Amino acid sequence: MGLFDKLAGWLGLKKKEVNVLCLGLDNSGKTTIINQLKPSNAQAQDIVPTIGFSIEKFKTSSLSFTVFDMSGQGRYRNLWEHYYKEGQAIIFVIDSGDKLRMVVAKEELDTLLNHPDIKHRRIPILFFANKMDLRDALSSVKVSQLLCLENIKDKPWHICASDAVKGEGLQEGVDWLQEQIALSNQNDENMRPS
Amino acid sequence: MSSVPMEMKENTVASSKWLDAHYDPVANLYTFTSCIALADLHGDGENKLVVGDLGTGACNMKLKVYRGTGLLSENTLLDLPTGLVSFLMDKHEPRTPAIAVASGPFIYIYKNLRPYFKFTLPPLEVNALEQDVWSQAKEDMIDPMTLKEMLEGIRDKADIPLSVRSLRFLMLEPQDMEEFVNLHKQQPIRRQTVITCIGTLKKNMADEDAISCLVIGAESRDIYILDPEAFTILCKMSLPSIPTMMDVTGQFDVEFRITVACRSGNIYILRRDSPQPKYCIELSSHPVGLVRMGKNVVVGCAQETLQCYTQKGKKLWTTYLPAPVTTMAMMDLPTRGFQAVLVGLANCEVHVYRDKNLVSTIKTPDVVTSICFGRYGREDGTLIMTTKGGGLIVKILKRTAVFEEKDSVPGPPLAQSIRLNVPKKTKLYVDQTMRERENAIAMHRAFQMDLSRMRLAAARAYVKALESSQTPMSASLSEPLKMNAVVQGLGPSFKLTLNIQNTAACRPVMNLAISFLYDEALYSMRTAFFKIPLLVPGLNYPIDTFVECLTDKGISDVIKVFVLREGKSAPLLTAHINMPVSEGLALN
Repeated sequence: MGLFDKLAGWLGLKKKEVNVLCLGLDNSGKTTIINQLKPSNAQAQDIVPTIGFSIEKFKTSSLSFTVFDMSGQGRYRNLWEHYYKEGQAIIFVIDSGDKLRMVVAKEELDTLLNHPDIKHRRIPILFFANKMDLRDALSSVKVSQLLCLENIKDKPWHICASDAVKGEGLQEGVDWLQEQIALSNQNDENMRPS
Repeated sequence: MSSVPMEMKENTVASSKWLDAHYDPVANLYTFTSCIALADLHGDGENKLVVGDLGTGACNMKLKVYRGTGLLSENTLLDLPTGLVSFLMDKHEPRTPAIAVASGPFIYIYKNLRPYFKFTLPPLEVNALEQDVWSQAKEDMIDPMTLKEMLEGIRDKADIPLSVRSLRFLMLEPQDMEEFVNLHKQQPIRRQTVITCIGTLKKNMADEDAISCLVIGAESRDIYILDPEAFTILCKMSLPSIPTMMDVTGQFDVEFRITVACRSGNIYILRRDSPQPKYCIELSSHPVGLVRMGKNVVVGCAQETLQCYTQKGKKLWTTYLPAPVTTMAMMDLPTRGFQAVLVGLANCEVHVYRDKNLVSTIKTPDVVTSICFGRYGREDGTLIMTTKGGGLIVKILKRTAVFEEKDSVPGPPLAQSIRLNVPKKTKLYVDQTMRERENAIAMHRAFQMDLSRMRLAAARAYVKALESSQTPMSASLSEPLKMNAVVQGLGPSFKLTLNIQNTAACRPVMNLAISFLYDEALYSMRTAFFKIPLLVPGLNYPIDTFVECLTDKGISDVIKVFVLREGKSAPLLTAHINMPVSEGLALN
């Protein structure tokens, strides 16, 4: 990092860039969540199923996020692993109204966690138990039980219930993610030989 | 120690090809593969499960729709459903399919889960003679007894069978006939048939969202093809037997093939432009399931076999199954180019066969009665099964699952590695053979001498027994008899049962009597001598008597039984019964 960049960072002129992977099954609300996080003048009106993947950007108070919004359809899920190396954080979105496919979400999460590019990295994972406005939606506690999230020991994770259409619960999740990235950056700085 | 099995268990779970999405053992779904379908009923890209629930078979027939893990709606059905299909009947947008439920002679069409249309099969031709007879009865020209006689005459001779009304009339008791005739004579006679199976056939395009015709198999041995919009009969074909299962492929306007399994155990193949079947496959046992795989037909037979035929009726292969087949379904994954046959077995397993190779086995908690594979919800490879106990099982094929080409049970048969149980030989045996080698001649002589002595002794004893008729089997040619005696009870009173049987081919035995000989100080019997009835050949005659033990010293003795012929003093048979010690006094 050049001196100028550092200086800009301290002054808050240039925000630190973070790459985030947004994963989850199809129809879980990944694109809607990303869309809600964007500034209101940049938000899209119509959300259609993502083909392949798309790259979106949004900013928070201290970070600038670049999100790989992956398609969750079965035939595109094998694309996910090509972007694992770039990801510094993962947002995993779950449709809490789809009880039937909770096992599929768990299966995909397990393959993700056991992937060599992810397994030994301490990257934060944020889970959104989305669509909590549905009448038959599962609570975030129940979702974390069904996905066996308590077995994730070596990575910081957080689950929050969200309603992506109204934008409820998203800010809480992003704040947590920001905090975790700040923490890991501090650690990196400390580890670096002076 | 304990961590090893745990690890192994995890491995087997990881290598499994299926994810357990949902299991509801008390879903109360009683149905068969023909009454289950997956359809995008609301056009929202999410497939629903439509089930024609048979209920108890007499009541509670329902049309149930499942969405995800929950029941979405329930419609009461009027009659027992025999088949259920979903099909597109019009070109309106959005493309929401209709559900056709066949029951009795009717097809009930539901659109948006609301009753929409009811189609009735055309009535069959009525016998003209029968019609005449009933019109006479209507004008009171003949009485019920004459009507009955005339109908019976028609039933025996005519080639068009009688209507249900006449058949029911013939079943009645004479006193109920008058009332029945008065009640029914005003209505015209009709002969209805019943739908046995139903399928769909694309009309003129092979697309997934093209409109389809209904194909119906009826009890009258006819196959009807219906127009999807007007519900008129486009085509009628006849079969030599009653259809039970059907598979339809092709397009109505171009070329199609209907493969029909019949109640006679034959499979017929119908084609466009042929009102009669062109090819026939004769099976060795009745077909239980029928699945078409490309150009071949895979049939599950009642004799625990899976057989594959070409569409011209040539047999390709046979696989032997471990248990009887309960149901069969097609497993088709077009995105991966994978096709296989799912076979539900009575030993609570579902086998996946690709050609003749078993590629996967699924264990289920109960016997599976219906299987459906396809897109359910938003997941393409979903396997839905209902069990005998009314449970619902939903499994999802893993994205990463691969089915190996070869058989899952490789290598030589298991029996090859089992060692034969050959006994070991010790030093004793070797010494014995040495002795035999040295003294062979002496041993042979001594043995021959002993053998002839034994023959003599045996012959003597046999002659003695014959002379005194001590055997329980009679040797005489005129009265071949067999007897055995059974003692029951603890005492002091015993029940003595003699089982006597005449073993002749066709000659009864008469004038026999039974006499007992016993120590009168020890036992008493009410009658020690009685006659026995005529013995019909082949039957076993149990004859009971009661014996009272008189002594209280715990002594037992032998009772002799003689079967005698009247006028002769030498007994035919003798039995010696060793009486048990009376335990009754000890108890007192």
